[in-house]
Amino acid sequence: MSATAGLTGGCQCGAVRFRAGRLGRASICHCRMCQKQFGAFYGPFVTGFEVTWTRGQPKRFQSSNQAWRGFCADCGTPLTFEVPGREVELAIGAFDDPTVAAPVLQVNPNDKLAFVDGLPRLPTRQAGESPASDAFKATVVSYQHPDQDTAVWPEEGARHG
Amino acid sequence: MAEFRMTGGCQCGAVRYALSEPPTGAHICHCRMCQKAFGSSFAPLAGVALTAFELTRGELSIFMSSDQAERGFCSRCGTPLTFHYVGRPRIAISIGSLDEPEKVAPGHQFGIEARLSWFATLPTLPGEKTTEEDDPRLAGNIAASNHQHPDHDTDAWPPG
Repeated sequence: MSATAGLTGGCQCGAVRFRAGRLGRASICHCRMCQKQFGAFYGPFVTGFEVTWTRGQPKRFQSSNQAWRGFCADCGTPLTFEVPGREVELAIGAFDDPTVAAPVLQVNPNDKLAFVDGLPRLPTRQAGESPASDAFKATVVSYQHPDQDTAVWPEEGARHG
Repeated sequence: MAEFRMTGGCQCGAVRYALSEPPTGAHICHCRMCQKAFGSSFAPLAGVALTAFELTRGELSIFMSSDQAERGFCSRCGTPLTFHYVGRPRIAISIGSLDEPEKVAPGHQFGIEARLSWFATLPTLPGEKTTEEDDPRLAGNIAASNHQHPDHDTDAWPPG
């Protein structure tokens, strides 16, 4: 296995795929612009080096005169934060294996939402605790791109959205 | 009593919505499909009745992540906005897309079979200086040219 194996990723539907040669610092950014890009509580980004788009290209929204934010136009997955002249920042959740980029830093902590630090302590529901929910999930056929590169996608004859 | 109204929308402002009842069941979902849809370690969601969800500007683009689930987003800027099970009477909104996300604190974690190993360590990570402290020139340029929709409804957008 090469050192770059696992440094692939892409959007939910598979229309956009990337590969990084190596990764730099991983962080979560609490600023309101990252919150809004992700529709979530922070932007989880890792610096990507030697990044190539191996299928499709992100569509980009210019969020200010300094930065562009890339996403998949077909399914919406947030993918990048890009400042001209700097290395691209890649959305950690878009990696096929998001454990390759464990964050080491919180950026713009002054903007952190009050409840964020308490999230890991919230109650959980284990498989088996809700039979109705488990039964429903068993009927779901995912159209999400698999967590690895594919030669052809969508698969022949498959229905996707 | 004043009618309940809570608003939100995407980063660029092409899609705006309003809720006419308080969202409930706020949670974060760690499942791999929510991770991928949000490009993150989890999706933060809260639900309302479909009849209490109104698009006030623009349209949702939909990716059907399975035959059961419609995931709504803005095709102009990508912000993940909604999750809806086909045929069901409720719809969930992404909490981060609300104008005031602080008002909707999650109460549960779902999909923990896929919870990332580093998720629990995030609160203990060191904090960097703010962008304003770290790079005042960059922060000033961003503030002066911010294209993000403000965190309230607007009559016209983009301005001018």
